[in-house]
Amino acid sequence: MTTLARTSTRQRQWRGAILAYLLVAPPLLLMVLLIFIPATQSIARTLTISVDGQPGFSFSRYAAFFSDPISVNNLLFTFQVTLLTLAVIFIVCFPLSLYLRFSTGRIASAVQILALFPLFVPGIILCYALIRFLGTRGTLDTLLSLVGITGYRTPYLKPEAIVIGLVWESIPFTVLVLTAGLRQVSDTLIESARDVGAGDWTIFRRIILPLIVRPALIVFSLNFLGIFGSYTIPYLLGPAAPQMMGVFMQQTFGQYRRPDDAETQAVITFLICAFVGFLYVRTVASQRLTREEE
Amino acid sequence: MKTRVLVFVLLALLAGVLSVSAQARTPIYVYTDSDTNISDWWTNTIIPAFEAEYPQYEVILTIVRGVGSGNADIAARALAALETGDDPQVDYFEQINVESVPAWLENDLFVEITPENVPNIANVLEATNRIPQEIPYRGSQVLLAYNSEFVAEDEVPTTYAELIEWIKAHPGQFVYNRPDRGGSGAAMVTRAIFEVTGRDPSKFVPGTPDPELVAQFPKAWELLGSIHESIYEKGAYPAGNTPVLELFANGSVNMITAWSDQALQAINRGLLPESTRLTQLQDLPFTGGYANSAIPTNAANLEGALALANFVLTPEIQRTVVEEIGGFPGVNWELLPAELQEQFTSVITDTVPVWPGGEYSAIMVEGWYNNVATNIDRNS
Repeated sequence: MTTLARTSTRQRQWRGAILAYLLVAPPLLLMVLLIFIPATQSIARTLTISVDGQPGFSFSRYAAFFSDPISVNNLLFTFQVTLLTLAVIFIVCFPLSLYLRFSTGRIASAVQILALFPLFVPGIILCYALIRFLGTRGTLDTLLSLVGITGYRTPYLKPEAIVIGLVWESIPFTVLVLTAGLRQVSDTLIESARDVGAGDWTIFRRIILPLIVRPALIVFSLNFLGIFGSYTIPYLLGPAAPQMMGVFMQQTFGQYRRPDDAETQAVITFLICAFVGFLYVRTVASQRLTREEE
Repeated sequence: MKTRVLVFVLLALLAGVLSVSAQARTPIYVYTDSDTNISDWWTNTIIPAFEAEYPQYEVILTIVRGVGSGNADIAARALAALETGDDPQVDYFEQINVESVPAWLENDLFVEITPENVPNIANVLEATNRIPQEIPYRGSQVLLAYNSEFVAEDEVPTTYAELIEWIKAHPGQFVYNRPDRGGSGAAMVTRAIFEVTGRDPSKFVPGTPDPELVAQFPKAWELLGSIHESIYEKGAYPAGNTPVLELFANGSVNMITAWSDQALQAINRGLLPESTRLTQLQDLPFTGGYANSAIPTNAANLEGALALANFVLTPEIQRTVVEEIGGFPGVNWELLPAELQEQFTSVITDTVPVWPGGEYSAIMVEGWYNNVATNIDRNS
């Protein structure tokens, strides 16, 4: 009787395990086939050169990339735009999320809807809307001159326009994650802090800030990945030079017809993003671990 | 009940008679893969006019735009039919590059057009550089567009050197797009290359670039670099033909390079200021090109196809090339109505330089990005 029961339990465990693996298999296979293998091949290709018909190991393509001032400048430019955009995203979204977390009522829900609105606007439409809005003699220019401010310089086709476009596009996701993170800060915690005489600033610094670090890290890394490799907004709103890596790669591949160099640029971009991706994975994993411990 | 049956029988008879009379008209199968404005123009203008003049023919237009390789697939089918002696089911290609597949010309897939079979071909412009199988019947060319409200008549540039001077003298008032993002900007760059290589586009032959010519490109970068700071917003180059037209439309700039058809259509729709004027450089025009029709030798209705070819080259239709699709005529401008010539007098040219494209374009685009759009010195 007991053996029977044991076998059936074991069978059930077996089945459960198989089912779990079956469920995990398709995305895992996709990852391996479509991402890991091609990426490894790419990296291997960029490290080999043909010497007298024989493949040899060489860093020469990377040396070429880093000794070319234009390539290096494009990479630095991508970093600058990405970090600046991230800074602005936090400046804009953090107060917004705090507001949405601690206020209720009609205005708050209206703000919530507004903050999520960019989620439903395709990037290319956004670009043309921003061109119309920010351009010389655009809506903003006209409004400013109505109130007597002249000498407006448009950000269109300048790095500033890329930052504006990317910030606008990143708001919904950032607000969603940050408010979700803030909801984990329980009201009772804050009330009890208040009871013992903590001021708003102390509550923010001692309770909210430490609890929001993880969602903030998640927002940082995921936004970084999206912005670093962005294409449409920098291409349509940004300057012809310097270029962000997404535009630069496409240009090198499609227009200059140098797939080898484009691949090198892609691998460099990939490695930078992989590093940030690793930060993200570590953050999420540590969150899981703490939950399990709890 | 009886009357109903009677009416029905009568209607059926009538339909039968009509279909018989329709069948009596020989069909001409026309294929096009051009843009909507072209297929609309065929449906609304060319076909009704042609059928009114030649009641014995019925033009059946098939649009294969975006279907596989478009007309090239239909030509491949015609070539296969030529080998087996079948009906190719196509009599007329609205637009096709007859040289794109060598086998087509090798097997005499297309009819050689001469004044004997198409009398109006005699009026076609020299500038079209047509090979015997081509029927160049519409073209477009990059022009200078300017706002006459702000640019005085006597300061409108007539040569490339004058254009460069004008741009320097009016900082921020001129713009062209990145050369890989639209032909109007590319024409500004290729014209600089023509300028520094002796204004002779015939030196540029498609295929492997001539190293001697490429060695002279840096002079063009220097020329374009000299106006970089004077371009809109100190060197802001939009990413396409349309953004350039928009900057011109809202008054951000007063002079641009633009495709003739895009500019004319925008003017006709009222999208550009009324004071918009078009002009062409007189020393050597900007680049452009012609769309060529062609007729397969095994066309079932060869006679009808030749009549159609002759018809699209009549002044009557050539006029609509300018008026309806904003293109340039394939025939001599002098055959068009005087008032139309008058209106376009400043853009009429008998030379249409062609940029070879291919590897030449890759070098041109990369050179521009690395030397004109940026002030980083690669060799420093």
